[in-house]
Amino acid sequence: MKYIGEATWIGEAGRLFTSLALVSALLSALFYYLHIQKKSEYYQQTGRWMFYIHAFSIISVVALMLVMLSGHYFEYDYAWKHTSRSLENRYIFSAFWEGQEGSFILWMFWHVVLLLVFTLTNHKFETPVLLISLLVQSFLVSMILGVYPFGVKIGSSPFVLIRELPENIGLPWTQMEDYLQKLPGFMDGRGLNPLLQNWWMTIHPPTLFLGFASTVIPFAFAFGSLISREYKEWLMPALPWTYFSLGILGAGILMGGAWAYESLSFGGFWAWDPVENASLVPWLTLAAAAHLMMIARTKGTALRTSYWMIFLTYFFILYSTFLTRSGVLGDASVHSFVDLGLNGQLLALLLFFLIIPFVFFGLRYKEIPDKSEDETFYSREFWMFVGALILLVSGFQIIFSTSIPVLNKLIGPEGLVKLLSENMAPPVDAIQHYNSFQLPFAIIITLLMAVGQFFGYRQKKAGRFWKSITTSAAISLVVTVFFASFFDMWKHPLHTLFTFTSAWAFFANLDYWLRLARGKWTVSGPSVAHAGFGLMMLGTVISQANQKIISKNRTYIAENIPASENVLLEKGDTISMNPYYLVWTDVWQENYRRYYKIDFLQPDGEQLRPAFSVVPHIQINDRMGLVAEPGTKHYLHNDIYTFLSYASDVQNRNSPDGYGDEMEFMISKGDTFIVDRYFMVLDSILGNTTRDLKTGEIKTVSVEAVVRLISAVGNRYELRPKYFIDEHGVVNHLDAESEDAGIKIRFKDIDQEKNKLVFTTWKKLDDGPDFIIMKAIIFPAINLLWAGIIMMTFGIFLAVYQRNKLRKN
Amino acid sequence: MKKSNILLLIFIAVAIGAVVATISDSSTYVTFEKAEKNPGKVYTVIGQLNRDKPMDFDARAGVFSFYAIDKEGESRKVLYFKPKPTDFERSEDITMKGFATDTAFIADDILLKCPSKYNEQNKLEE
Repeated sequence: MKYIGEATWIGEAGRLFTSLALVSALLSALFYYLHIQKKSEYYQQTGRWMFYIHAFSIISVVALMLVMLSGHYFEYDYAWKHTSRSLENRYIFSAFWEGQEGSFILWMFWHVVLLLVFTLTNHKFETPVLLISLLVQSFLVSMILGVYPFGVKIGSSPFVLIRELPENIGLPWTQMEDYLQKLPGFMDGRGLNPLLQNWWMTIHPPTLFLGFASTVIPFAFAFGSLISREYKEWLMPALPWTYFSLGILGAGILMGGAWAYESLSFGGFWAWDPVENASLVPWLTLAAAAHLMMIARTKGTALRTSYWMIFLTYFFILYSTFLTRSGVLGDASVHSFVDLGLNGQLLALLLFFLIIPFVFFGLRYKEIPDKSEDETFYSREFWMFVGALILLVSGFQIIFSTSIPVLNKLIGPEGLVKLLSENMAPPVDAIQHYNSFQLPFAIIITLLMAVGQFFGYRQKKAGRFWKSITTSAAISLVVTVFFASFFDMWKHPLHTLFTFTSAWAFFANLDYWLRLARGKWTVSGPSVAHAGFGLMMLGTVISQANQKIISKNRTYIAENIPASENVLLEKGDTISMNPYYLVWTDVWQENYRRYYKIDFLQPDGEQLRPAFSVVPHIQINDRMGLVAEPGTKHYLHNDIYTFLSYASDVQNRNSPDGYGDEMEFMISKGDTFIVDRYFMVLDSILGNTTRDLKTGEIKTVSVEAVVRLISAVGNRYELRPKYFIDEHGVVNHLDAESEDAGIKIRFKDIDQEKNKLVFTTWKKLDDGPDFIIMKAIIFPAINLLWAGIIMMTFGIFLAVYQRNKLRKN
Repeated sequence: MKKSNILLLIFIAVAIGAVVATISDSSTYVTFEKAEKNPGKVYTVIGQLNRDKPMDFDARAGVFSFYAIDKEGESRKVLYFKPKPTDFERSEDITMKGFATDTAFIADDILLKCPSKYNEQNKLEE
């Protein structure tokens, strides 16, 4: 049978290129491997051509996806699920990676781009790096294969037609050749989740995926060098790629924080959400690995540590993928993808690239040249090594706590090895839990950053060290005293100490760059990056530790439970919220967003003077319910961040639809009954039955009651509730409601013995005037955080540039 | 012994400390009955909304009250001193972090598991 109007060529071409991508990646890896074994140029060239075919196939898959999504081919499940006709063009890319399949393709696309750049610029290590990268890539392509050999699902293809979905196979409509024209469901897609229709969401995922994809190159360098036995030569060319990875991954993670702050009502920038954690941990170990590689390059020590740190980093990258995509986190996170039933495959990917590199590492351990010279306390490398280990322990603590749902699966009561009698629940106060561990780690890290630069490479004596750090320490002390007095931070000694160490990390690195390195651009990368990190931490501690919920009530119900952290605003009323007065002045709706304008007023003598307005909004999201989005007033020195915890005009207080006071009664035609403020008269009954043409039996019954409501002043409303029995004998009701009368009626049953009809009525509950409940938080000095992030990212890319120049010389 | 080896040992000790502390920090999922044995101690209870009992959100007092049934089938009154969460009625499971008192379970934090959330159902109107 030929279906009318289906663009099957997209799917056919898509599947063809997917298979081609898999075969070419495997062949390419094979030829590159042969090149290492046989050393013949021929193998390398063949491998390279296979890689070009692979690159072409992946780019074709991307192009076909874009054609499918932008062309509204709703016969395809992916297009139907993620786009709609009303979707703006700029969100086509967001729709592309909304689903798991698309995000895998995005990941592979970045691999291809990076590897193309690599092959065209770096000939020396092409073979080992491409070999490993294409092995990873083969696993990824298999995730979108969508084939079922021997009944086992391998991959989930984005090129599946809706009529080919397992749940639809055999349904009657799939036998209609003109289903696309006949069924209204295919006229338009379900559209993109409104949560993703946001400016940050068009740049955060691709940046983060570029960061994830880019870690394959340092991994491939390290793993490949074990295979090709070039244990030291890889460090120099791998360093710029490692820094690049660190910069992009960091930028991607922090963009997620910025998105959360701007568009989610988490109440802040970082919430220790499991998925945030899962991407932070590989960043921490990657930073550790990059520093270890520096030590290994300059001193020849720490080479073995560098190897396993990189392997661990890549394991965490894959583990993070596993956590977000396997559904194991369930409701623990806002980010989780839908479980596509690929867990076995994800686990295979994870274990393969955990076990194989470590096996090779073990086999070659003795061959790896690692100097066993001991470090003095005054060498930069010693403290870099300490810093790297602290990053590792910090990451380990985070990943362990994040893995509690995984631990339950492994050793819980229903797990593989039943060690625990009950499932572990994540820490009751997650933020407190993580902060209590991470704060001491961060203090040590920032302290090391502050003093680290001043230890010369391979220096053995104290020398000018102490003299050179006094200026920046003095400035930092002044800054700390200022902040601590201003915000009264003295009661939190650790916060005060952290303020000092982060300020010191900032000023010392600035000092080093400007005074000792005389602002030279050639050596500025690490200083600028470290100064940026210090500034970022300073912004974090000042803005987060001193955040103030200004909407908090002063009365306490019980110890530690404030009466409310929110204020209630009725429209037009002016209420006091120290130091402001608030008025809810306006409300309006655009598409699926409802905006609430709140004016903040400040007393000015006898009068109230308008200070500023915020417009928090609520997204009416048909897939996720109501989503509160913050309204923030940005000042240079602080932010006033608000969001609505409740809005009575979109949420009903006591029942889902706002109706209550249920009443059930029985009446006959012509009877009158009193319902709320109305006389209810049953005017007439309209019946309708259909019969089976062959047997003459009654198939369906539908009865409509015509009901009149008459108020005391004579207002009349007509309602027509329906009662029907379908062909399976199932009773259904079609309730009738009158918004003006505030009454809902259900035709519930027919009592044939008494010849009466049973009705249920509800009246609209009067909840009083509309009100909103708002939470308002002041984040002081949060701009230091953003400035630090920009400075750090800039510094890292400066280091990439400088390292790349060094490599070429 | 090399300094770096000593360092490694110290860090392994810190890591083990972190694991132990995490396990003692992590709570377990309990029933109302168990939470009531230790009034005032914070527990995590998973339950479902008791649809037969009334729920009430008093916006002015800032109290939302409802009844929940835990996994053992015990029903308790729950007080939540925050605005009523969105889509509360649609929830399948309610995860409540809080503590028991004589009169009610006081929830500090409520997490809802909604059937529609992230659960993509491919329903075509035919």
